[in-house]
Amino acid sequence: MTALPSLSNELAAAVEQVAGSVVAVNARPRLPSTGVHWRPGIIVTADHTVRSAEDLTVVDREGRTLAATLVGRDPGTDLAVLRIQDTALPTAGLGDSGSLKVGHIVLAVGYGPRASWGIVSAVGGRWRTWRGGEIDQLLRLDLTLYPGFSGGPIVDAQGRIVGINTSGLSQRLELAIPASTVSRVADELIEKGHVSRAFLGVGLQPARLPEAAQRALAGAPEIGLIVVRVQPEGPAAQAGILLGDVLVSLEGSHVASPEAVLEVVAARRVGSTVHATILRAGTPTDVSIILGERPLRRR
Amino acid sequence: MRGAGARHTILPESDCDFTAVTAQLRGVTVQVYGGRTGVGSGVIWTSRGLIVTNAHVVRGRLARVVFPTGHAVEARLLAWDGDSDLAALETNTGGLMAADIGDSDALRVGELVVAVGSPFGLAGAVTAGVIHAIPSRRPSGPRFIEADVRLAPGNSGGPLADSRGRVIGINARIAGGLALAVPSNVVTRFVASLRRGAIAAP
Repeated sequence: MTALPSLSNELAAAVEQVAGSVVAVNARPRLPSTGVHWRPGIIVTADHTVRSAEDLTVVDREGRTLAATLVGRDPGTDLAVLRIQDTALPTAGLGDSGSLKVGHIVLAVGYGPRASWGIVSAVGGRWRTWRGGEIDQLLRLDLTLYPGFSGGPIVDAQGRIVGINTSGLSQRLELAIPASTVSRVADELIEKGHVSRAFLGVGLQPARLPEAAQRALAGAPEIGLIVVRVQPEGPAAQAGILLGDVLVSLEGSHVASPEAVLEVVAARRVGSTVHATILRAGTPTDVSIILGERPLRRR
Repeated sequence: MRGAGARHTILPESDCDFTAVTAQLRGVTVQVYGGRTGVGSGVIWTSRGLIVTNAHVVRGRLARVVFPTGHAVEARLLAWDGDSDLAALETNTGGLMAADIGDSDALRVGELVVAVGSPFGLAGAVTAGVIHAIPSRRPSGPRFIEADVRLAPGNSGGPLADSRGRVIGINARIAGGLALAVPSNVVTRFVASLRRGAIAAP
């Protein structure tokens, strides 16, 4: 009998391999969360576990408490970056989450270290979180994320960190943010302190179009999006969009839901131009809008 | 990249080992009716019939023990320690297959573990998972092994074993979905003190 003990040893070795780069993050009352020493001096954790921007500390495996400062946070992807002065901590050995397949054995690791195991339950494409952030790949896990595990690594059978676990992006599913997204967001947070997102500056509500209006439009769409709010001085306002206009298409494709608009806008850079077709008083009109930067939400 | 041949060896071998380990463990796990509502579990600690279970499984001085063979006997309470949540029962049955005892101080976070018990009365049910956290060395720290294994009432007193089937803990509690087990080295000391007569029955 050797296979099961070998499997067991390799699971324990995988935890051991990452444990040195895993820290406890003290950024909220009572329960610490977990963080990963992603690069020298850079700790990545789950944004929703960072309640305070001051007096942050991390605790390494040896129990040493280190002062940390907040570099930036991105609620959209639920990631936050902290900086520590001590760079002697081992850094994360990263793996490619693109190589993960449904059924692969994975471990979730929390500070301590603590561990839970399971398998990759689903792998999907690029997706957008309910907070508007873009995640390169959907990674759903069949394992338990215990209290304090958010911000900790998901580890493959080779002991490589393939993502960051968080309970902040779904109340029902165990999800991980793939390592590629973590690195991309960390880069942007280190550079600018926030992740810039393009936006239009309008509030939209789906509305059924009158038949005459449908006939006037290419493709005769049934649904349009009525503008119910225009952000003063915002990109749409500057392009002349008025309350009561009905948005029917963006970049030539019909938009029937606010999510469809978000999809188009979020994929573009701040400062780029989008071409919109609106209905004003029943007449189709083309408008060019220069995308602005979504203001940071105050907490 | 592993060859096509290698792809189908580890999993069937692990599977085979797994059934061997669970069969071995089921052979040393008993059901304990200790005067409380429902049934608990216990581990055959010696071939002469010493059974270890949780203190909270046993209420009186007598308990009924059902062996994996279905054979039921009256057992006498030898020792009971509420602090460590351990109890020892004497069944006066010889020639038993006793549990293989592991070293709980050598456990590693992430290693595979298997639990056997009678969750909700279903005798010999097996669940598997990994070590979640090991007991703290600090005297004030947690004294239990924590395992990412699904347990239910009825697992109490039953074995938590490593990937070789060696008992490394006695399942005692469920907390936040985690299994909490008394480390086998604590059980070994409990049984040793019993032999010296240091712990008397209440």
